[in-house]
Amino acid sequence: MKEIVILSGKGGVGKSSLTAALAHLLTEKGTRLTLADTDVDAPNLHIVLGANFDRSRAVAASDKAIIDYEKCSRCMRCVDACAFSSIIGENEPIIISYSCEGCGVCALVCPEEAVSIHPVENGKINFVTSGAVRVVAGELGIGESSSGRLVDIVKREARQEASLNGSDLLLTDGPPGIGCPVIAALKGADYAILVSEPTPSALSDLQRIAEVVRGFGIPAGAVLNRSDMDPKSAGITQDWLVQNNIPLLGKIPYDPRLPQALARGALAVNMYPDAPSSLAIKELHKAVEGLLE
Amino acid sequence: MNKKLHPEIIKHFHSTTFTTPIIGVTGGKGGVGKSTIAVNLAAAFVAQGKKVALIDADVDAPNDSLLLGIPLENPEPVTIMQPVFDPEKCTDCQKCVKACQMNSLFRSQPKTITLLGECNGCEACYLVCPAEAIGRGSHSVGTLYTTKRGNLTLYTGALQPGLAESALLVNAVRKTAFADADLFDIILVDTAPGTHCNVIGALKGADHVLAVTEPTPLGAHDLELILSLLDMFAVQTSVVINRSDLPGQKAKTEKTGRAGSTPVAAEIKQNKDLLAGYLQGRPVVNLFPNSSTAKIFLGLADRLAAAYPDWKKQARQEQL
Ligand code: SF4
Ligand code: SF4
Ligand code: SF4
Ligand code: SF4
Repeated sequence: MKEIVILSGKGGVGKSSLTAALAHLLTEKGTRLTLADTDVDAPNLHIVLGANFDRSRAVAASDKAIIDYEKCSRCMRCVDACAFSSIIGENEPIIISYSCEGCGVCALVCPEEAVSIHPVENGKINFVTSGAVRVVAGELGIGESSSGRLVDIVKREARQEASLNGSDLLLTDGPPGIGCPVIAALKGADYAILVSEPTPSALSDLQRIAEVVRGFGIPAGAVLNRSDMDPKSAGITQDWLVQNNIPLLGKIPYDPRLPQALARGALAVNMYPDAPSSLAIKELHKAVEGLLE
Repeated sequence: MNKKLHPEIIKHFHSTTFTTPIIGVTGGKGGVGKSTIAVNLAAAFVAQGKKVALIDADVDAPNDSLLLGIPLENPEPVTIMQPVFDPEKCTDCQKCVKACQMNSLFRSQPKTITLLGECNGCEACYLVCPAEAIGRGSHSVGTLYTTKRGNLTLYTGALQPGLAESALLVNAVRKTAFADADLFDIILVDTAPGTHCNVIGALKGADHVLAVTEPTPLGAHDLELILSLLDMFAVQTSVVINRSDLPGQKAKTEKTGRAGSTPVAAEIKQNKDLLAGYLQGRPVVNLFPNSSTAKIFLGLADRLAAAYPDWKKQARQEQL
């Protein structure tokens, strides 16, 4: 089984829509695939696919400190020791759970052994089916931390799901950014597809994510979405790709039918199969099929 | 999972040491135009003669400088503690290895403690070492930039790619900007996308938050999440609808759930001026000051400025 990760360095360039469309085309043409949604801060691949959750399971993706107030003598040593300013309070210590890293320093300094570190349930794994496409999606609780660990769990579950249903491909919709969750999404991938659009901001994001991908030695290709938005920026981006030996896998023109289809909870490739964007995605699909060989 | 927060945590979230008003700009997910709105709002306040601090707290992909067309200046490294081991002093007790919750310390042979994995600088290893064999080194997790242009000062942090320490960097950027708070009439904070702890970290102390969305099913979904988060922290919020003329779901965005009871501060239609500003790296407010879009931002800045005294009054009452 091959693993391909779709990334963009930042959200908003149409990554999820593209992932969903690509997944549909690949399945239609007989590729067996499993999707992993690792944008655990705002998972919405299921919305793009117009699908609902089949089942969900709560997961503990981080460890947090918990104070036993029966034992606590209110000495406030823990407040000073926390390097992440995650304990506050004037008369008694209060742990700000959302920013606690579970490092255990507060427990180490506590003279009363009043603090302990426990795994807490702060996320969910959702299983979604849309036609023949199976999606394993992570969802971090609102205001929670540790998306990297949740992404690890999602990838593990998705691999299991993929091998159970005999998938040829595990396609991962990556999280935005360049931090720890992105690294977790990249781990074990055979190829990375970097989605960009012709604007100076998107190029800067592309450069940052390409640096991360290169650091891991994972081969990558790029897709230029809304490619006709600005010819000048498109030229600059394409030049940069050439200079950096990143093949351009496809160019998808801006298409107002995309948001129209999305507003109806449908995919443009299904609803408007002959639209310019749909045709371009079909071309891209061939390029991706080539990667699977 | 949407648990109630301890009142002290909410109070702590709202506490600041200065009186300069803080406005947050956030959105459930990337790509809804959050940074465009933040940058244009900053330009609008400047156009009205205000001294503005803009904090770009999206340290994974800080783009406000590109949208403003001002290259970043005054880089300063942001560092955290990183243990340095002295094999001479080490007694090989391995307490440090056990203490590290990140499982980042390894001992391949006697007295060869090495840091292999990620380190968040928590100092647990340093604290437990009985032999004083661990020193406090430092390690750069990113860079902080302070860039001044007339009445606008941009504070940005850029995370070292691949690191997990974005929360530390967000705090460092905020701290630097807040130390200068008295120099400004207004502080704007542009957050990372999502509803995770970093967004909260960035919005700490905000008097009012603009939640940017667009009228699509995705927009509605993400808006609902971000409004839940802001509600948990009792933050005063209004909604900005970007690309409000997109086909479909504006009425739905306005009516459902929390979004239905949150006031709409502004609506921005898709337009060429905004795109041109985006591509050229200049706020529309500067590029086409007489355009209808520029007027929307100027109007929003006026209304926000008129509202600050009330926010402060309300905040004071809440503290009493
Ligand atoms: S476990 Fe670490 S981060 Fe959490 S409260 Fe204790 S010292 Fe702070
Ligand atoms: S260090 Fe222990 S005893 Fe002291 S305030 Fe913290 S929890 Fe309580
Ligand atoms: S705790 Fe100190 S003495 Fe013990 S193994 Fe670690 S470095 Fe060596
Ligand atoms: S400082 Fe904390 S994270 Fe870093 S090595 Fe020591 S115990 Fe581990």
